[in-house]
Amino acid sequence: MGKEKYEESSSDEEVNSSSDVVEASSDEEVESSSDEVEVSSDDVESSEDESSSDNEKVEESDSSEDEVAPRNTVGDIPLVEWHKDEEHIGYDIKGRKIKKQPRKDKLASFIEGADDPKNWRKIYDEYNDEEIELTKDEIKIIQRVISGRTPHAEVNPYEDYVDWFEYEDKGHPLSNAPEPKRRFIPSKWEQKRVANLVRKIRAGLIKVSDQHKEEEHNVYSLWTDDTDSVENKKHGGYVPAPKPKLPGHEEAYNPPVEYIPTAEEINSYELMYEEDRPKFIPRRYLNYRSVPAYDKGVKESFDRCLDQYLCPRTRKKRINIDPESLKPKLPSRKDLRPYPTTCYLEYRGHMGPVNCISVDPSGQWLASGSTDGTARVWEIETGRCLKIWEVGEVARQICWNPSPDRPILAVVLEYDVLLLYSGMGDIDIQTKMKELLHISEPGATEDAGDSKSAATWIQHEKHDGIRMKHFKAVSSIEWHFKGDYFTTVVPSGDSKAILLHQLSKKHSETPFRKLGIPVTAVFHPSKKKFFVATKKFVHVYDLSKVEKIQKLETGVREISSISIHPGGENIIVGSKEGKMCWFDLELSTRPYKTLKVHSKDITRVTFHRTYPLFASASDDCTAYVFHSTVYSDLNQNPLIVPLEILRGHKPEHGRGVLDCKYHPRQPWLFTAGADSIIKLYCH
Amino acid sequence: MPPKHYRAPGKKKEGNAAKYITRTKATKYLQVSLNTFRKLCILKGIFPRVPKKKFEGNHKTYYSMKDITFLAHEPLLEKLRQKRAHEKKVKKAKARKNKELAERLLNRMPTYKLDRLILERYPTFVDALRDLDDCLTMVHLFASLPAVEGERIQVKRIHNCRRLSQEWQAFISRTHSLRKTFISVKGIYYQAEVQGQKITWLTPHALQQVLTDDVDFNIMLTFLEFYETLLGFVNFKLYNSINVKYPPILDPRLEALAAELYALFRYVATGSTRKPAENQSISSTEEKKDSDEKMDTCVNESDLQLAQLQHQLPSNEPGALMQLLEDSNNDDDDVDQDTIECKTLFKNLKFFLSREVPREALLFIIPAFGGVVSWEGEGTPFEETDEDIAYQIVDRPTQGHKFLSRHYVQPQWVFDCVNARIILPADAYMVGMVPPPHLSPFVDDEAEGYMPEYAEAIKQLQATAKKNVMPLPDLDNQDLADPQNLIADGVMDRTQANEAAEERQKLQLLEKQYHDELKMEMSGITYSATLSNKKSENSGSEEMQHKDEVVVPVSTEKNDEDDRAKLYMSRKKRGLYEAIEISNQRKKDKVALLKERKRKALASKSG
Repeated sequence: MGKEKYEESSSDEEVNSSSDVVEASSDEEVESSSDEVEVSSDDVESSEDESSSDNEKVEESDSSEDEVAPRNTVGDIPLVEWHKDEEHIGYDIKGRKIKKQPRKDKLASFIEGADDPKNWRKIYDEYNDEEIELTKDEIKIIQRVISGRTPHAEVNPYEDYVDWFEYEDKGHPLSNAPEPKRRFIPSKWEQKRVANLVRKIRAGLIKVSDQHKEEEHNVYSLWTDDTDSVENKKHGGYVPAPKPKLPGHEEAYNPPVEYIPTAEEINSYELMYEEDRPKFIPRRYLNYRSVPAYDKGVKESFDRCLDQYLCPRTRKKRINIDPESLKPKLPSRKDLRPYPTTCYLEYRGHMGPVNCISVDPSGQWLASGSTDGTARVWEIETGRCLKIWEVGEVARQICWNPSPDRPILAVVLEYDVLLLYSGMGDIDIQTKMKELLHISEPGATEDAGDSKSAATWIQHEKHDGIRMKHFKAVSSIEWHFKGDYFTTVVPSGDSKAILLHQLSKKHSETPFRKLGIPVTAVFHPSKKKFFVATKKFVHVYDLSKVEKIQKLETGVREISSISIHPGGENIIVGSKEGKMCWFDLELSTRPYKTLKVHSKDITRVTFHRTYPLFASASDDCTAYVFHSTVYSDLNQNPLIVPLEILRGHKPEHGRGVLDCKYHPRQPWLFTAGADSIIKLYCH
Repeated sequence: MPPKHYRAPGKKKEGNAAKYITRTKATKYLQVSLNTFRKLCILKGIFPRVPKKKFEGNHKTYYSMKDITFLAHEPLLEKLRQKRAHEKKVKKAKARKNKELAERLLNRMPTYKLDRLILERYPTFVDALRDLDDCLTMVHLFASLPAVEGERIQVKRIHNCRRLSQEWQAFISRTHSLRKTFISVKGIYYQAEVQGQKITWLTPHALQQVLTDDVDFNIMLTFLEFYETLLGFVNFKLYNSINVKYPPILDPRLEALAAELYALFRYVATGSTRKPAENQSISSTEEKKDSDEKMDTCVNESDLQLAQLQHQLPSNEPGALMQLLEDSNNDDDDVDQDTIECKTLFKNLKFFLSREVPREALLFIIPAFGGVVSWEGEGTPFEETDEDIAYQIVDRPTQGHKFLSRHYVQPQWVFDCVNARIILPADAYMVGMVPPPHLSPFVDDEAEGYMPEYAEAIKQLQATAKKNVMPLPDLDNQDLADPQNLIADGVMDRTQANEAAEERQKLQLLEKQYHDELKMEMSGITYSATLSNKKSENSGSEEMQHKDEVVVPVSTEKNDEDDRAKLYMSRKKRGLYEAIEISNQRKKDKVALLKERKRKALASKSG
């Protein structure tokens, strides 16, 4: 349409030859459109009258022809031919006829055109039967089109080219190889594959959809006769899951009355720890119909599943043995007689706990020391108290000289050791003892100068004996078997903790240095050996060379006392945790046997001089009597048999039996209790 | 300083580190997710172990390295991987809204079979039976779950469980191998004996089960998957052993009436009688099958089979007839005393179940012990009006119309009878009464040390049923005579008297044992004298005092002896000894508590 207009306009220009604007129009164009020009000029003439009103309209529409819909609605029909004889040229949008404009004759229109200076701008729209006046801009566009330029001046047809791909610093551009042919033709291999599948489906080798699901119920005889005979060949020790526990009476819906806990008991479960609390509380339903569904059923089954695959399984031997069979077969006690069994005598008289007792080597006298500040001597057979020394302090330990012709008692007080003549024996011995227990002053001073801080020997006037002053508290005393030497232990004495004294020379020395805190020290009964017990170890020294031979590891927490077997090769050690260790010196430095005997501290262990017996006394108010045979054959281990538990003492301030000693010749045991009684147990 | 478990490069692992592997490492080794690993472990029956030394810490789970390499070679592992890949494809198709493809893929999901695994885990049939407890409990549990579409469990599987459990029950009932039953709060326990294996399982009460949320059904369903397959094969083997075709084909009419168990019974019963012939025909003649199918009536069929049999037997299998005869004899010959006892317990008795009674349990138990049972509903063997019915089982407060010819008992009566193996007097179990306590048959009362009253009563009934009265010791007789009067007085009970008598007997024994050791005090004469004195007095409290008097010196003496022996024990043995003592003491305490409760209950009742 637009193009037609331009043609028309150009033809108009041709008609208005007076126009100076249009110059460069081709001749052919003019010729070809010459007919039209004529026709159009007719039209122009005919529509001359109403041009003024139409012009306004056209101006309104201006350059936006496309926006204004054409008035006529008849469509693209050859108007000239079809409507030649009609009054109208078509219909408007409402269906009314559009009347033809009255035609102007050619002359009139020409004159009008000559008069109107703007006539060259006007073109006639045949379709709508109106005249249009072109604007300046439209003219310009037309002129540009005619001259072969772009219609709009602002468009630059030769802009600088900006490439969409940056070639700089790139190795090579994308491939612009042409698309291969195979992209455009169907695949040969796919076709083959499909053909293959089709063949298989037809042959029934591949089952499609519905056929696939049918085989479900395929059970058969899995275990045939020959599998039954096959040995169980499970790998790696298969452990079957333990079976669930079978229900007891309490799980019944209607259990016996006694299985139902009372309300208080159920309440008391709340106080228990979560783990201890019973999981199942029995209840009673009066009839079967009232039993509800068990709400934990699924959960319990689930827990069982979890257990089955999560819990580690091991084979555990379920010990189903008679506890009696665990007890060792001990030799009959009857065969091991005699040994002390029953309390025969009590020695009463002390006012406080009896700390220590000691039996005279002859077996006639018993000496005892107590916290009431006295030391006493008793006649064993009768229980008569012969002599009382008022020592004034707590007697910690008392020890009878093992030599029968030196009836001397050593009593340990806090810092002092008293050496007293017991008053036994005939006049001959009496005078001898007087001499022995007499210190000439110069000697004492000499000693004091030598080892001043260790011990000083002083004459004790009151009891007619010797008083040895130590620099610190003394804990124990022990005589050498010959009766001349004795040793005292000062636990806090550092390098001077162990003192060796010689009675005949009134001389003291400290041969052992660098020890821990010693507890007790003992002489070997026959050889020149010396045993020092520290808290955890027992050190064995050779006295002649003054060097350490052995160090015994007890493995107990704190040693309280030790005792040497008369043979000299075996030691028992009592500890404060109630354990007793038996050492065989030739066997090992570790205990041959450890017995957990008492529930409280062991206060004293002791061997019998002649009988194969030993005993232990403890703060739990008991004393144990053991049988111990030591064989001369080295291959045979010593036999230790617990024989008897002796009770009878009463606890006092948490303490029980404080000391025990055997009679030197008889199988009798003396025990000293914290209840200030000394007891004699006989066979 | 090298790290604690340093191993030089190139040096092989040794000891526990080589023998065991932690779970995380095992999953990495197998290149599977934890879920797949779990599934594999469940199906293959692999479980964690306890290494001697837990080289990676106490909180880890250790598997045996052998087990894991065993898993690595498992074809199932590959199948599970395929399945996972396939699931991904389905998911992808669904995401792309390609419904058709998704459906097609779902139909072609890779499947696996567990039969090989079952044979691997249970090389012999007895092994499988031995491990059947959990399987049966689980299958019965799932059989009782609601079969509702849209729940977490597929309806199909629940139906399968139901079928399997009923097949199992039908077999047990048919072979009379049920031994013990017990109604607990959790459900009903059954114990059967199959091929010498005691198999115990639990069925929930026939009520709506609760599905809780704290349960991972994936795990349970994996277990169930294995159990279903296992039970299928076990049932097959068992049905084959009694010459019944498996899987059974049920009467659809009975099935519709929810009486599958009864339908199964009928099938099994008819099957086992007819079976030998049928079996023979199937195994021997393949080509004759077509003609078999053409035959319409059953009579004709069996006639034909007989003819076939006669025709075939002499030529093909000479021993087959012998086999057949043996089969028919089997039922009576090789069963043990127990089975015969079970078989004849309810023989010639007719039972009728009322509407409200849990039908399935009783329908299972009563025929297992030789009874005939019917219930209210369609398709039943006989009606309620049948004159021969001996026992009607009811569980309602009152019974309106009563037939005089029969007993009306509560369901517990059946269970108690079965456990006691005698027909108990029905008086205590009448309608509307509170039945006597229900006792667990799984408890050994003597080992437990406490015998409930009703257990004793049952024991006496059993003894009288066997026509030999229990030999009672002299003391007991006396005591039993005494309390008869005393019950009237309300002072003492018979059981208490029995206990007292037992105590006395024990004391006497003790005394004899230590007679030689007791030296001065407690001579035998004085003891017995005091005993006889005390016997005349019947007050319980005084007796207690008396007991204390006697026991104290003995116990100290014994304690001494104990202590002496204990001294010499090694620490390990002493620990063991003490542990045993503690457990014994706990047992005693338990019994004492029961006795105390019993006493209080009696006191409150009388007072």
